[in-house]
Amino acid sequence: MATDKKTILVIDDASLVRLYYRSILEAAGFHVEEALNGLEAQEKLLTIAADLLIVDVNMPRMDGLTFLTALRQKELPMSAIPALITSSEAKEQDFDAARRAGANFYLVKPLSDETLTEFATMLTGGSR
Amino acid sequence: MAEFAALTEDEFRKLCEFLYRQTGMVFTEAKRYYVERRVVDRMIATSSDSFTNYFMRLRANLLGEIELFVNAFTVNETYFNREDHQLACLTSDLLPQRILHRKKSTPIRIWSVPCSTGEEPYSIAIWLLENWALVDEYEIEIVGSDIDTEVLNAARTGVFGKRALMRLSPQIVAKYFTPLDNDHWQILDDLRESVRFNAVNIVEQSETQPNGKFDIIFCRNVLIYFDDASRRVAAENLYENLLPGGFICLGHAESMSRISSLFDVARFADAIVYQRPIREGDTHGN
Repeated sequence: MATDKKTILVIDDASLVRLYYRSILEAAGFHVEEALNGLEAQEKLLTIAADLLIVDVNMPRMDGLTFLTALRQKELPMSAIPALITSSEAKEQDFDAARRAGANFYLVKPLSDETLTEFATMLTGGSR
Repeated sequence: MAEFAALTEDEFRKLCEFLYRQTGMVFTEAKRYYVERRVVDRMIATSSDSFTNYFMRLRANLLGEIELFVNAFTVNETYFNREDHQLACLTSDLLPQRILHRKKSTPIRIWSVPCSTGEEPYSIAIWLLENWALVDEYEIEIVGSDIDTEVLNAARTGVFGKRALMRLSPQIVAKYFTPLDNDHWQILDDLRESVRFNAVNIVEQSETQPNGKFDIIFCRNVLIYFDDASRRVAAENLYENLLPGGFICLGHAESMSRISSLFDVARFADAIVYQRPIREGDTHGN
């Protein structure tokens, strides 16, 4: 399993959205893992090392901002994993809430192939 | 098992009446061979030594025989991207219209009925992933229903042979399926999760109603098997399952105008579909 690919954990309750992002990111050379909500993401991070989290806001059981707030209070290095928030909401208060929760970036859905690849590359420390 | 004598005219008629009451499908003498072949299969499977015995068993619904009998009669020939001009219409015209007055938090609901072994609802999911730029912006709920419970199990498993995949490019097959052996591919888990399957007989309102209201219904190549009365019942049920302004896509040989006047015809570049009219007081269905 040793690979030099960066690992991205996609956290979204919609299976079509996870698959859509996965296809784009895998085509761009990333390794992709998935979680259905914040709780499942917490579990997943106990077993994998992620280089980037792509986090939806509205999810059942544990939403994206609650997940992120909790993550930022954990020990290093887990607490420092970059996180990209994705949401179909585009109001100032939504951006603020995400920033307070510890988001590195906020992108409004729908995301194009190019935008997703560009931000994933940037936030995992790559250059394109 | 010994050879079975052909059904008498009377037996054939009784059986067809029974089938009609159960499913709305009409079979005439012209389809005798088709009907007999399936009845003989069920007689062998149930070790019935005469038609009379089998028919008693069927009417008594012994060990769920009605369901098994109906399953044997449904036609389950389909493949991915069948009549894909309607899929093109879905993303170029139908969805853009359905999201015009919609809150982003309201799910877009699409119903494939009958869905057989899942080719149609999965085709819709893949088509959206490949052709609709807003696929991550809206919550999309796809429901697949069929009267035949065995095909529904197959649909949930999502394993397909070469024939079913013949219209998909190798790139699409590689992207959305995992090869199991030389002749079978399983659809990815995320796609299996994206479709909810349930058993529905479209001429039974008590079965159609619980599925709720949809933005778009694909009901292709089933009404051709019904007689006028069943067709009308099915059309009325489907109308009730559509949101005001919602669309229904039929098979290329089917015409809703000949069945019911409830719907408006909607002509688009890629397809002709039918629409539940929006009446005064409707809230665009959102």
